[in-house]
Amino acid sequence: MRERERSEGATLVLGHLYPEQLNVYGDRGNILTLTQRCAWRGIRLEVTALELGAPIQPDAFDMLFIGGGQDREQEEVARDLRTVKHEGLWAAVEADVPMLAVCGGYQLFARFYRPAEGPELEGIGIFDAWTIHKGKATPRCVGNVALAWAGSTLVGFENHGGRTYLGPQARALGQVLAGHGNNGEDQREGCVHRNVFGTYVHGSLLPKNPHFADHLLHLALAQRFGDDVCAALLTPLDDGLEWQAHDVMLRRLGLDPGKVRSDGTVESTAAAAL
Amino acid sequence: MKHPTTEPPLGGETAPPAATTSSSAAAPESAARGRRRLWSGQRPRAALAIVAGRSAGALARRLRLGGGTSLPGLVARWLDPQVLAYLGAQLRHGSVAITGTNGKTTTSGFAAVVLRRAGLRVWRNREGANLLRGVAAALIIRGKPTGHLRRGGDAAAVFEVDEAAFPAVVAELRPRVIAVTNLFRDQLDRYGEVDTVAEHWRRAISTLVPGAQLVLNADDPAVASLAGSDTAHTTVYFGVEEAPRDDTDVPDGAARAAVEVVDTRTCPRCRAGLVFSRRFYSHLGHWSCPACGYARPQPDVQARAVESEGLDGVRFVLVTPVGERAVRLSLPGLYNVYNALAAAAVGVAMGVELTQIREGLERFTPAFGRAERIAAASRDVRLLLAKNPTGINEVLRALGAVREPLHLLLALNDRAADGEDVSWIWDADFERVAAMPVAALTVGGTRAYDLALRLKYAGIAGVGIEPELAPALTLALERTPVGGTLYVIPTYTAMLSVRGELERRGYAAPYWEQQDA
Repeated sequence: MRERERSEGATLVLGHLYPEQLNVYGDRGNILTLTQRCAWRGIRLEVTALELGAPIQPDAFDMLFIGGGQDREQEEVARDLRTVKHEGLWAAVEADVPMLAVCGGYQLFARFYRPAEGPELEGIGIFDAWTIHKGKATPRCVGNVALAWAGSTLVGFENHGGRTYLGPQARALGQVLAGHGNNGEDQREGCVHRNVFGTYVHGSLLPKNPHFADHLLHLALAQRFGDDVCAALLTPLDDGLEWQAHDVMLRRLGLDPGKVRSDGTVESTAAAAL
Repeated sequence: MKHPTTEPPLGGETAPPAATTSSSAAAPESAARGRRRLWSGQRPRAALAIVAGRSAGALARRLRLGGGTSLPGLVARWLDPQVLAYLGAQLRHGSVAITGTNGKTTTSGFAAVVLRRAGLRVWRNREGANLLRGVAAALIIRGKPTGHLRRGGDAAAVFEVDEAAFPAVVAELRPRVIAVTNLFRDQLDRYGEVDTVAEHWRRAISTLVPGAQLVLNADDPAVASLAGSDTAHTTVYFGVEEAPRDDTDVPDGAARAAVEVVDTRTCPRCRAGLVFSRRFYSHLGHWSCPACGYARPQPDVQARAVESEGLDGVRFVLVTPVGERAVRLSLPGLYNVYNALAAAAVGVAMGVELTQIREGLERFTPAFGRAERIAAASRDVRLLLAKNPTGINEVLRALGAVREPLHLLLALNDRAADGEDVSWIWDADFERVAAMPVAALTVGGTRAYDLALRLKYAGIAGVGIEPELAPALTLALERTPVGGTLYVIPTYTAMLSVRGELERRGYAAPYWEQQDA
């Protein structure tokens, strides 16, 4: 596994957790984006499905991805994560393997999910966070969303009934500029632990946020091949269309793409007009 | 299915009221007749509701507020919440309520023509007016100030019904037949997950009157299982026995699993993984559960020997309990074979003769926006509505049969009726387009850039982008040579916009003028 040579063209291996069960919110778009952004740079991205019952082999994966699913599937997956995948997954976390967890996957990577009725669903606790569904009377968090992230912005769509709260140890992925985020209360969205990123943002997330896609690839390439090789491999791409799609959404949310501050917050077009 | 041939024949003035032979011996008298007795007295409140509803509709049309399609229902139900039940019970031949993720409108169209061939007057609700108020409106506008239906209610009604509105409509309307086409993921932000939708439908079935019949897709596990332990009603199952796969298909195995959306993978009874001996598209096919043994019911109404004629049509042999007929549809694709089967099964449930069913299916021309052909600026425009991954995959599969250079306009809106979440485009198989002889591709709609991006990641370059649909249509027409065909693949409101634009330019009639009287 270690001997993937650059002369043969670099290869990265992405482990896709539960593609059969968790594939609801355009999660295929994230995989496609990573695959193509690798291919355009002469890097091969090999995608391996990690289904129920399949353990995660140590050092086999350069990246891991987990998406969202329906409630009934979430339960099966939670059990499998806690048992079959537990050891391999934690080893990958400790080895700083970059991971992206979206929607349901994000909730399962946290400590627990408390549904409106029925028993609590235990997560694997990578994130010091938990999710509470407050019942049908509390409206779902649905709609377009934008957040400040790493001196820039992320845009996408969210659709979740549960509200996620971060513990004292947890760091949010970004600050909500428009939309609900984790819970619609504290302006925080997502969670980051080491190289593990959890978020409610889909849409799909990565196509319209090419800088975030490349950040994940950067982490994976640097881990596998070292900083120098990573820098040589991760050549810039023409992301004109990606950023047009990104900016169209920012503007619709009343945010001016030209006014992104260094902390990633954006001057709103409404405020600018005042 | 237990009693298809014991149904009273339809057609003619002597046809009895909406009486289906109940499988329950405890209900010797027809449910419909019993219902009418309940409403036998005058109901002044309903009369008032009809007058007010019709006036509101007429006013809306005069003020050019559009078709005013749901307004009469909205107003009338406000004045008399029972008005739909009251009028529905007056229908001499009862009503058919059709729901499902894809194919509601087309199946309703097929069913209406089939019933007309059987000599019935058929009333329908208008395209898209498929919530409770839209269904009510369809009867209000056929109501008289006396509170009675026109023509003494000598008609059958065929209604397409929104998935989420289905329980409420069924509870009030008390239809004679309900039909469910399929269940795919669609507008997760609006409908919720597919399990939630199936739950709505089970609730609707639990309120069916005795003697009512179910028409269910045997090939869709989530739909076939809806009857559950219900034995009070007869179920007519429809399904495809055999169909070829087209040559642009991805081979089976991992590669296929990676590109195809399958919304039901597990057994509706025990949640174990299903196995398919045949799979036609998504999760439609011949399924069985290796754990509990639950399997696709043997369909009563079947399609065999399906043969595509590209976008122009499709042929198959229709097999029913009362015989077989070769059928040619003027609509393309296996998805329309399913729609035709559902309508044929409705016909079987209502005792229509096989010859009349075949004639009805063959005479039906494309519904508004569904493979509809409109001549515009010396070009042919084909509107191919596609509003979810399975819908678009099937349209692209049918387009794959076209051998000449393709001129395409893809239009993606994210308004409420389209679904505000456009994630689904990443689940649709646009990689197919990369393999087609595309000469010009334009994208439009509120999410034109998302669509262009999706196509970029499918390996398709040179896409023209114009979010505004009027100029997008102009651009796409300009890029289509005179005498050529422009294929337009829009989401629902994008289809309305494109068609509206074609109307404004004088190429198409306004859609409410095309509806049945």
